[in-house]
Amino acid sequence: MKRSVRSLAVLGAVAAVALTITGCASSTILTDTATTEKQLTIAFVMGAESDPFFQAMKVGAEEEAAAQNVKLVWQGDPSHYDVATEVPIVESVIASKPDGLVLIPTDPDGLQASSDKAVAAGIVVANVDTHTTDTSKAVIFITGDNADGGAKAADAIAAKIGYKDGESYDVVVGLTSATATTNVGRLDGFKAQVAAKYPGIKIQDVAYSASNPQTANSNVSNWLTKYPNLKGIFAIDGTNASGAAAALQAKNLVGKIALVGYDAYPANVALIKAGVFTALIAQDPAEEARQAIKAIVNKIRNNEDPAAHDVVIPNVTLDANTSAADLAKYTYVAN
Amino acid sequence: MTDSKQATGVAPRSFNWKPLVTNQSSILVFVIFVLAAVFTVYSGGKFWDIAVFNNILTDWGLVVLLAVGQTFVVISGGIDLSVGSTVSLSGVVAGVVMVNWMHLDLSVSNEAAIAPLLLALLICVLTGIAVGLVNAFLVNTVNIVPFIATLATLGGAAGLAIIWSGGMPLQGPNFYGLVNPIVLGGVSLSPFSFIVLVSTITVLIAGLFLHRARFGLYTYAIGSNAFAAKAAGINVKRHLTWVYAVSGALSGLAGMYAYTRLGSGSPSSGAGFELQAIAAVVIGGTSLMGGSGKMVGTLLGAFLLYEVQSGLLMVGMDPNWKQVIVAFMIAGAVGVQGFNFSQRRK
Repeated sequence: MKRSVRSLAVLGAVAAVALTITGCASSTILTDTATTEKQLTIAFVMGAESDPFFQAMKVGAEEEAAAQNVKLVWQGDPSHYDVATEVPIVESVIASKPDGLVLIPTDPDGLQASSDKAVAAGIVVANVDTHTTDTSKAVIFITGDNADGGAKAADAIAAKIGYKDGESYDVVVGLTSATATTNVGRLDGFKAQVAAKYPGIKIQDVAYSASNPQTANSNVSNWLTKYPNLKGIFAIDGTNASGAAAALQAKNLVGKIALVGYDAYPANVALIKAGVFTALIAQDPAEEARQAIKAIVNKIRNNEDPAAHDVVIPNVTLDANTSAADLAKYTYVAN
Repeated sequence: MTDSKQATGVAPRSFNWKPLVTNQSSILVFVIFVLAAVFTVYSGGKFWDIAVFNNILTDWGLVVLLAVGQTFVVISGGIDLSVGSTVSLSGVVAGVVMVNWMHLDLSVSNEAAIAPLLLALLICVLTGIAVGLVNAFLVNTVNIVPFIATLATLGGAAGLAIIWSGGMPLQGPNFYGLVNPIVLGGVSLSPFSFIVLVSTITVLIAGLFLHRARFGLYTYAIGSNAFAAKAAGINVKRHLTWVYAVSGALSGLAGMYAYTRLGSGSPSSGAGFELQAIAAVVIGGTSLMGGSGKMVGTLLGAFLLYEVQSGLLMVGMDPNWKQVIVAFMIAGAVGVQGFNFSQRRK
């Protein structure tokens, strides 16, 4: 009996010590929790994930997420830049209830309902690169200056072909999609600049590649046959640029047709020096991602709206005269 | 000698048009020529040009490799959705080896690129075979239906292609002359380039295997009735392993085709081609139920797809009409198959 009472006392003492320690730890944890911010979950949903532009964007997104204590959920169809594949992904992301959603819509109308649904579910939404038709419920829209990029492309082509008023020059434009706002913006900027400054440039045709460089290559090969006097090609994004560059190299037309591409993929930047590209219009996708995540975090943690709802990040034209330092600075970093 | 012949002497023999108009391949040839005529007229004659034919064959050369592999798989009763992603993955793996490991870049060009390109070819085909063996394992051992098994490898291969390439095309050595018409002794063999010639020879060899070799016989047997094939002594699982490995190998070869055409291993180079390959197979007359189909149909079906694509661009029509036209072709092909099947049952 005495042994059992002693045992009970020892057990009780051990339990008391254990509870004390646990209580201290809990309060410590609670204290720590009270002083640290809750980790936010921000989903990033785009079109074709394999597009190097989005991979370069991911580099910036991951950097900012790490700096802001954000769990980044990166989602997108591996290779199809298509509203039909993006909508189901957005819907399942919404169902997972992230704190924020950075949406890169493949179609401005096709993703509107999903974007509104996310907002209604209490998710803070930002649009990057492209946008839904109505962005009023999004906390911010960040993009490169697409119209300016298109205008710069027109200037680069005109300079390369030695444009003279009164003469006629055939050019073509390769796009990924007929509805993506980036493509539309760049094409509009290109057309406006051509109409304003280079009326002799005739845009003979546009074609779509759905982010597949093989399709872009095929389109350019067919154009080279259809328009024997073709003087310029505006490849409106990186995958079109890659396909177009390969087609010109295969047909031994390097330097004979002005090729202006978009997005500074390392492989394409290397082709500037080789004379394949007249110029590349470079964006800053990593900075777009950083600003989007910052805006969402600020909205959630501090209830602050960004200074401007629409943010346009300037482009840079990379050509044979660009310094090596600038080429390195603006080349997209692989993820 | 029939009574009618004894009574009348020699019976008049009329030409039997029925097999000609219900034979899938005959119909495809007819459609190809009709479309060529239509596109020529509406393009102001620009479509009827050897350069256009060269472009069509260059596009055809990649998809027909995928479609040939797909033909074997579909006739065996399965399907392979992973072929497009395998194109991307195999090109990327070759790019990783040449660019990241061996530090070769685009400065290695023309004849100097032949040795690295042969290495790249081996890497691409081995990568494709690896994917094919994964498909076979999932189908044979894990007993997953081919649609789901190859859907999984579609995603897996596409994901790996993005991860290993860092999301960027890997530009390495290349010989663009392989994409242009062959010139022998000053004579151009247009529209045949080296890569198109490789595809053509591959189709011919595959056709022989399908229609003249035991491999093809077993493939048809399994597709018709796997249980009966097994009872007849065919090792069904081993044969299906070979079928998926062949499809994977051909997808790897297509990956090398894409690399040569683009000068880089790109993670998106094969995007969507699985559907092009299946469309070519179905339009060519191979039944998705298994057990029937011909390689010549696949060859013609793939050609028709790219004739339409080139033709629409030359005519200046919205290229999205291609999808509408392909939908009609698929419906027509399945309709002809159904008609032929009902006739055989009578």
